[in-house]
Amino acid sequence: MENREKEYLKRENNRKLKKVQEFKATGFSAGATLVIVLILLFNSYSFKTGEIKPMVLSMAGGYFVTALIQAFIWVKMRNDIIKNNAVSKSTRILGFVMILFLATGNIFSAIAGFLTIKKEKNLEYQLSVYMLLTTVCVMLVSLINLFKPYVSNTFMPGMGLLAGVTVLDVIAMILVGKGVHGKKVNPKLKWLGGILILTAATGNIFAFILGMVLIVKIRHKDDMATIEWIEVIRRIFRDNMASLGFFVVTFLLSISICSYLTFDYYVATENDYSAILLSPSLVYPFGTDNYGRCVFTRIVFGARISLVVGILSTLVPIIIGGILGAVAGFYGNVIDNSIMRVLDILYAVPGILLAIAIVAAFGTSTFNLIMALSLGNVPIYARTVRATVLGLSNSEFVEAARACGAKDHVIILKHILPNSMAPIIVRATLSIGGAVLSTSSLSYLGLGVEPHIPEWGNILKIGSKYLETNSYLAIYPGLAIIILVLAFNYLGDGLRDALDPKLK
Amino acid sequence: MKKKALALTLCASMVAASLAGCGGVKTRDEVKGTTAAAVSGEEQSQGAATATNNQPIDLQLLFYASNEDVANVLRDQLTKAGFNVKLNMQPDYSSYKTQLAAGNYDLDITGWTTVTGNPDYAVRSLFKTGGDYNNAPVEDPKVDELIEKAGTETPEEYQKTYTEFEKYLVDEMAYIVPLNGTIKTQAVNKDRMKVETVRLSKSRSMCWEMMEFQDGIDPQTEPLRVSQTISTLTSMDPIKGNDGSINTLNTNIYVRLVNLTDDDQVVADGSLSYNYAIADGNQDYYFLLRDDINFGRVQDGHAVDSGVLVGGEDVVFSLERAKDKESVPNHKTYSLHENMDTITLVTDIAELENTKVSGSDETVKAALEKGTPAAISSLVETKDAVDNAAGAYQVVKIRTVNPFPQVLNYLAHQSAGIVDAEVVKSINTYDVKTYDIQKDIAYGDQSTVTEGATYNNTLSCSGPYVMIKKNDYEVTFEANPAYRVGSEYEPHIKNVTVKFYKDSDSSLSGLRSGEIDILYSIPDNSFDLVRNSENLVLQELPSNAATYCTFNLSEGSPYRDVTLRKAVLAAINQEELLAVFNGARTPLYSTLSPLVNTGNVLTYVPGKSQELQAEYLKNKAN
Repeated sequence: MENREKEYLKRENNRKLKKVQEFKATGFSAGATLVIVLILLFNSYSFKTGEIKPMVLSMAGGYFVTALIQAFIWVKMRNDIIKNNAVSKSTRILGFVMILFLATGNIFSAIAGFLTIKKEKNLEYQLSVYMLLTTVCVMLVSLINLFKPYVSNTFMPGMGLLAGVTVLDVIAMILVGKGVHGKKVNPKLKWLGGILILTAATGNIFAFILGMVLIVKIRHKDDMATIEWIEVIRRIFRDNMASLGFFVVTFLLSISICSYLTFDYYVATENDYSAILLSPSLVYPFGTDNYGRCVFTRIVFGARISLVVGILSTLVPIIIGGILGAVAGFYGNVIDNSIMRVLDILYAVPGILLAIAIVAAFGTSTFNLIMALSLGNVPIYARTVRATVLGLSNSEFVEAARACGAKDHVIILKHILPNSMAPIIVRATLSIGGAVLSTSSLSYLGLGVEPHIPEWGNILKIGSKYLETNSYLAIYPGLAIIILVLAFNYLGDGLRDALDPKLK
Repeated sequence: MKKKALALTLCASMVAASLAGCGGVKTRDEVKGTTAAAVSGEEQSQGAATATNNQPIDLQLLFYASNEDVANVLRDQLTKAGFNVKLNMQPDYSSYKTQLAAGNYDLDITGWTTVTGNPDYAVRSLFKTGGDYNNAPVEDPKVDELIEKAGTETPEEYQKTYTEFEKYLVDEMAYIVPLNGTIKTQAVNKDRMKVETVRLSKSRSMCWEMMEFQDGIDPQTEPLRVSQTISTLTSMDPIKGNDGSINTLNTNIYVRLVNLTDDDQVVADGSLSYNYAIADGNQDYYFLLRDDINFGRVQDGHAVDSGVLVGGEDVVFSLERAKDKESVPNHKTYSLHENMDTITLVTDIAELENTKVSGSDETVKAALEKGTPAAISSLVETKDAVDNAAGAYQVVKIRTVNPFPQVLNYLAHQSAGIVDAEVVKSINTYDVKTYDIQKDIAYGDQSTVTEGATYNNTLSCSGPYVMIKKNDYEVTFEANPAYRVGSEYEPHIKNVTVKFYKDSDSSLSGLRSGEIDILYSIPDNSFDLVRNSENLVLQELPSNAATYCTFNLSEGSPYRDVTLRKAVLAAINQEELLAVFNGARTPLYSTLSPLVNTGNVLTYVPGKSQELQAEYLKNKAN
């Protein structure tokens, strides 16, 4: 009897705990911090020489202390929840401690902290947290340049701008925390929305979304119906991994835009013959390659090409394939058959082989690379769009539009295409990761961009030659590629779940 | 309110900290000085500041993928010197050649290896008007004249001529931009091999007969395992190929009249001759043949003694066909041997007695007799009559078209290997003019040694080893049982296996895992890997290979202008290039640097390139 009661209590407690987002986040953060500690510990000992690196070891020690503090908060939170079914005020204040750990570069802890300090965590608050984190992380990464002998000419204005945006983001976070309750948004926040959309010029997608949400909500304050796209975003942020993926993508986008100001492009492309193959240090966080170029700076600039090529080579086939698929699906019969059979031929050629052939024939340049990667993807999008359009073209609203005398192109553009976007968006996010990988593989084969231009595949190619002697040359660009591809995949997964009507 | 205050303090302190940190930071311009201002200032100081000066000079750099490292440094240095560099990278050698032929370049990175180790080979086909590899093309009467002059001279004399030639080619006319020499490397597994018996030579291919295993490894049963990357063998007929697929193999299955030492001196050691002599006038060359080498042939899958002596008739036959373009289809090496006019057997002993050695009072006979089993008492015409112990010898005399002492280097090349006159005549019965590759099987065709239906090994080998058979993975060899038996040159290891690896990286893995014993040519960036391996030894030697750039000198190219070429030359800092290769490359002045000690060096003067560019633009504007 007692046993069953215990079991019930346990299950009941688990149910309670599961509902509390900050509890989950703190646990995750403490775990992740411990993993970092282990990695640092592993790196603090040199297996070749038996030496212990004091610098790395003390970093591990520092992280371990923060992990312990987080574990303590986690336990406290657990007790609170089991006892009172809510997190107590004193525990919430401890969230600030976790935010402070951001200074050590611990994003997980910062996210957990921000979730802990606020009781009501609506979409706007979450967005503002991620927005602030993005700006702060970009700033932190840019600050690493201070260790270099010199910084880019636009470093100071760039940093000033970022500092200004940071202050603005903090103010926005506080205002949003106070002014937004459920569907009610303080109409005074309209101007804030506008400013946030402006700050999205730094590549901060979260700022853009937050601004839009605020403006749209204020405009629709009297409507009873929910706004569909805001719901979708809310569902994305319910998924921890998806929001982390979204954060990584935004961060990379933001850093690749801000690097125009805060990073020196010459450090990434000009050889420095006095600094060849140096191990990672504060001046060269990821070491230098065989031409004396800073690998860290190269990876930062490489993000720009990887993202641009990844996104463009997904957008181009969406547009071409989308039009072809829509026409084929809408008109059917002969047109459908002829378009789809031609695309079938294209589909039969392996994508990477087609890309290699195109680049080999037209030469290596970023434009050719995008074209080469795009062409292979056209049939995939055409098929997806055609399938949705086939289903939609017989639906009632299309019939209605036709009855009203709408022209074909109006029906396709205004009624059918907007309704067939969902599967395309999902497929696109998933295939951006693939496109980044393809870019890197082509560069690795020497067919991507020119060899001296920082691109992740190029950087990795040099690293592969020094795998046994200077392994950091391959590890860091490799990690960068893995993280970006994973981020896009998690975001894609989250988006699919968010757009799936069955999972609402 | 409390929260707000806390957050604001946090934020303010961060901004303050970051700004404080930035306070003492220097920007790029403060450190380097504004590039634009510096350049224009310099130009003004030379009084050449015109509108065109701001337009950087275009330069298209052509290269193929394996020269990517060099191209990167070149691009960097030329860009820093103010050129607008465009890269034209080709994935492989053949597409590079296509671009070269189409003239789609201003500057191209190329390489040259002097396989024969003599300076004439390093300049004639590259720079002489109409030369086989003169792609630029360099057409300069003074260059032609100096090449011809040096060709007739002995090593003591030609040093001065080549120094002058080099100075003119590089310093004065900037026809080429020298980049770097390379280092020949070889890694040896010291657990298996006695390292001191494994030679590494500047030009000569790896020779196996002197190699020895460590004690405890049976040389009669255990094979010596080496590797090469090309698995399609051009031909086992020595004159039909001069490439990486057969150079090492043919070196070991055919003997020659002379050999090269590790540093490219011509010697008779380990060759078919006891001694050689250059007659007064530098046009006649005498070789005294030995009688302790028989041809080795294959019987039942093993090497056997054919009982047939490698004699003077075979030498005459081999060299006659080497210099005759029409002797075989696809003759790849006749240009190396064109210098020979006649090859004859000397039968009159008086000729040797009456001829003096070049630059000495010694008679040719005395020079040839040194260290022989018996003094020369008779010269015989047929090899059946040869008996060295009784004083019956054969002497081969080669007369060159012009005086050309460097002919000896060509005789040491694998393509001058001695083949079996009878066997080759009996197999090559087809008519050269109507040769049909589908029907006629030539001597040395790789299909005759490849496992399977076509296997019919007819090779008759004069060298220390006999090729037994080949498949897709390896070629096997056995020692020639009748090769200088009892001497130090008798092969020490009975079996040799040459394994095929796709590239140098997998070969290195093979060596490290113990699949092969010796690896010739280690990838540039893996030197330390070999040095740090406990069971490996790295052998290094400066090689005869040179990496350099040539300009597009065809009609209409802006680089026909010598000032512009000099500006490119002045932009190159070899020291920085060598730093990138971390000791794997050496300084270079021209393709002659590894061969002749000319003393010429290239010095980099900062800013000189910009001066020359300004001068070029000024001249052009006028």
